[in-house]
Amino acid sequence: MIQTLILLVICLPWLGALLVWWAGDSRPRLQHGLAVVFSAAAGVAAIALIPNTVGKEAARLPLPAGGVFGWFSFTPDGLGVFLTAVAAVIGCLAVVFSVDYMRGEAQLGRYYAFVLLFIGSMTGLVLTSNMLLMFVFWEMTALCSYALISFYNDDPKAVAGGMKALIITQVGGVGLLLGAILGFAYLGSLNVDDFLQRAHLLPTTALTVAAFGFLIAAAAKSAQFPFQTWLPDAMEAPTPCSALIHAATMVNAGVYLLARFYPAFENVPYWRLSVMVVGMLSALLAALMALAATDLKRVLAYSTVSQLGYMVYAVGAGGIFASQFHLLSHSVFKALLFLAAGAVIHGLGTRDMLQMGGLGKKMPVARAVFVIGAAALAGLPILNGFWSKELVLEAGLEHGPAWIYAVMLFVAGLTALYTFRCVWMVFYGAPRSTAHAHDAGGFMRAALYPLAFGTLTTWLLAGPFSQMLHDSLPQHSIHTESTGEVALVILTAPATYLALAVVGLGLLAWWQRERLALLSEPLQDVIGLARNSFGFEAINRGIVSGVQSWAENLRDVQTGLLNWNIVGILAGLITVLVIVALGA
Amino acid sequence: MNILSPDTAFLLLLALPFAASPVVYLVGRISARRAGGAGPARWLAILVMLALWVPLVITGQVVAGGSQLELNVGGVALRMDGISLVLAGAAAGLGVLVLFFSIPYMAREDNEEKFYALMLVIVGAMIGLGCANDLFNLWVWFETMTVSSYLLVAFYHNQRGSLEAGFKYLVQSAVGSVLVMFGVAIVFATTGTLRLTEIAAAYGAGGGAPSLAILAAGGLFIIGFGVKSALVPMHTWLPDAHSKAPSGISAMLSGIVIEAGLVAMLRSAGSLPVLPGGEQISWGVLLLGFAALNILAGNLLALRQKEVKRLLAYSSLSHMGYMLLGFGVAAAFHLQDAAAGGFFHLINHALMKGLAFLAAGVLLYALHIARGDHSPLMVDDLNGASRRYPLAAFALSVAVLALGGLPPLAGFMSKWQIFVAGAETRNLWVILLVVFAALNSVLSLGYYAPLVNRMYRRETSEVVQAGAKVRWIMSAPLVVLVAAVVVLGVMPWLISGITNPAGDTLISMFGGAAMMAGR
Repeated sequence: MIQTLILLVICLPWLGALLVWWAGDSRPRLQHGLAVVFSAAAGVAAIALIPNTVGKEAARLPLPAGGVFGWFSFTPDGLGVFLTAVAAVIGCLAVVFSVDYMRGEAQLGRYYAFVLLFIGSMTGLVLTSNMLLMFVFWEMTALCSYALISFYNDDPKAVAGGMKALIITQVGGVGLLLGAILGFAYLGSLNVDDFLQRAHLLPTTALTVAAFGFLIAAAAKSAQFPFQTWLPDAMEAPTPCSALIHAATMVNAGVYLLARFYPAFENVPYWRLSVMVVGMLSALLAALMALAATDLKRVLAYSTVSQLGYMVYAVGAGGIFASQFHLLSHSVFKALLFLAAGAVIHGLGTRDMLQMGGLGKKMPVARAVFVIGAAALAGLPILNGFWSKELVLEAGLEHGPAWIYAVMLFVAGLTALYTFRCVWMVFYGAPRSTAHAHDAGGFMRAALYPLAFGTLTTWLLAGPFSQMLHDSLPQHSIHTESTGEVALVILTAPATYLALAVVGLGLLAWWQRERLALLSEPLQDVIGLARNSFGFEAINRGIVSGVQSWAENLRDVQTGLLNWNIVGILAGLITVLVIVALGA
Repeated sequence: MNILSPDTAFLLLLALPFAASPVVYLVGRISARRAGGAGPARWLAILVMLALWVPLVITGQVVAGGSQLELNVGGVALRMDGISLVLAGAAAGLGVLVLFFSIPYMAREDNEEKFYALMLVIVGAMIGLGCANDLFNLWVWFETMTVSSYLLVAFYHNQRGSLEAGFKYLVQSAVGSVLVMFGVAIVFATTGTLRLTEIAAAYGAGGGAPSLAILAAGGLFIIGFGVKSALVPMHTWLPDAHSKAPSGISAMLSGIVIEAGLVAMLRSAGSLPVLPGGEQISWGVLLLGFAALNILAGNLLALRQKEVKRLLAYSSLSHMGYMLLGFGVAAAFHLQDAAAGGFFHLINHALMKGLAFLAAGVLLYALHIARGDHSPLMVDDLNGASRRYPLAAFALSVAVLALGGLPPLAGFMSKWQIFVAGAETRNLWVILLVVFAALNSVLSLGYYAPLVNRMYRRETSEVVQAGAKVRWIMSAPLVVLVAAVVVLGVMPWLISGITNPAGDTLISMFGGAAMMAGR
């Protein structure tokens, strides 16, 4: 039963991908239909998997590989099953949304094939317990992300954005590879549970390298400091992909990785602190950049980086449950925000917030759901973002340094500020363009309403969710609490009201922005820096152009002159003979 | 299964291509004179290549079972072991596909029958090279392979570019061959034997011969065969030769001929004695040094390349580097995973690079050659190719993504095996080299991924719009290779029955067995 469900949830989307591709671009209705049916089926299978979450031994799905490939096994524990459900359900909603959003686009087959391939790969990534397969799925999600960012590949910006995402996440992936092969070299196994149980058998150096390798991999995948630059440029993807891949699922893989391997690495010196600092810097810098951006999708992308920073911070502080709970909230409300933004972009034909304003009257549905999502992002009670963010901050206060907590609190205020700036610029105030705009269509609403409902209610799952994690992840020492207890703790903690006060200050700052303009002289410098992405783009460009010019210069050695070619052979011979003679 | 005894099958495997080659030529020549086409020669060559699989499977079963086949023909010592099987299987497999592909591709060329006759020779020579158990014979097989490949590189003998490429290839290979010859001479002078399995023992019996001479011989082998296997800085002939040859030959050269050079190098260097004090390790370390050079130089040179086939040719340099990484670790640290990974990558490279060159060949044929135009296929020509040539574009995409090491394609799995073996050394320098190789794999996506992007653009290039139709028989090999690349990527254990015996052979050549016995 469980084996079948695992196979279904991974393979149904892949089968759908093949069929959509097979259907051909001359039959768009069939393609839309196939994509919806198969993604919905995967969603159902994923939900059916939730009650089947079990302890370690019962539900493996081993395929024979052996040797350096390990056993191709899958284990549906709480962490994996929950992320599977997120990936498959939000994947299904994104596909439904696409029916409206992508109507009439060319090359639909390529679009849906990669979306479905992605859904299957993402579920594989979180369900597998073999580090080779984990890496395989990790890279497959990167490939899908690349293909979808570059979907409009006649546009050089989309191509460049895709390449950037691919290269940066792959560079990070080397960290995951290194950790995995070191694990195999010393433990003789690629099984994740083996690794968690026997990590102490690794020599300190190897364990430290693996721990920081995984941190690098996670930071690259989750667009954390210093790899955050790829995510804003990934916004060239069609908006449903941004919602699915670059907000709700793939970018969470880094957080997932850290949470999954936390028990192995928590005692590595400076590892937890590094994780928290990475989270903090990402949260802070991205929030500032969100404040300066004027492209609607980029604002959301920066806020994703910032919120992922909260999750990473929570993992570093040891709050595995808090991080995963915030991940759940964020997936739902950020998918909602992106899809609502997609409705706006689709209706208006631009992503530039400077050309928006006063759209609320023209698109009330989009406004309503966007405001719900924005309130959750800002952390207003009683939306899901409020509860999970409070849990994250609480975990940080309890187990992390106070100065990092202070910064995260400040970022909570910034979050409220940029969120309301964004809502205001898009939906309120005077219209800044006279362009025609139409509200979300039927399929779009079918995707938006469930997400809005989820944003209002997923926090009620806190109790069962913590129970599930507790039961299936013995090594993570997760406390189980009922939803009521979680709510009570949050509502009675003084820190909650401190955080709410900061959020309120953020709102106040936006409301009183005219008066604060006097104080904003020094702020302008920070905003200027934020517009230039704090120099990280320049570093990226420097590395790329450095490699390119190095490659260009190296072409000179290919002279095409036979004499020089022979010189090459002789030089090789002399060098080798000298080395050999010295070595003898 | 008892159609042939394994020994007879072994003899047949070696003799069939050479016996058939002149017949193919004659049949082709006669039919070309009578009917104006070399049709029968094509099908005869394909038939022979397919028939070759019968003895190959029979001998392969014996070898994969862990034993070896020995044969002496008039003093020529031959032995089929795991390494021979890998090389023979890759050569015969890719050979069949290239022949099918070449039917339409070569149909308009003069002297078409020579192409088929030479293809049989080159495949036969590679099978023989893999089985040679004697340094001098190894050299003879190697030269046979090289000579037949000159003629194939310069097959378009009316084209300036391919003549130039053929000439450079000739001169540089000749330099390499001379160095190998010196090495063979030194070994014979010091030990009095050329039998690969006896050199080490003979050296030990002879006592105080100067070890420097043996080391020099090893250096000469590495550089001499290194020219053929395109170690940097001896690689300069390769981009011209691989890009100017007919695409089927490009696939053979990149996919298997340079690897045959590598096998020859490993055989000869591995035959040298294990010196007391473990100097043997230096061969492995040298290979690792070349691995680093090849990986980096190949990638950087490919990065700015604008010609598709040249780009693929440069990428062969870096893939040779990955194989060297596996074999170097195997030779220096006696790790079976490393050797098996190296051979896995060798097989995969034959599949991936074969696929890449054949797919690029389909496009080159459709866009240029079918119109009698011998200009190279440029990267810009690929724009929007998927709209008219969906299969070729898809095949080329799969090939380059596999070459770039993206899972779940075959190239990733063999790199993984090599990298794991690198970590198993627990040696800091090797692990750093693995990280370097992995980062280079990422760098390689910097030139592979844009190719894929181009092919799936909507705006098609002018040449694509004017492109010719492609016959199914050219596309069929692409389907086979795509399937192979995907299947080996998803189920890498399918090939371990072949790579593991080859790995064991390599380890024992480099004194692994001796070391283990000594412990």
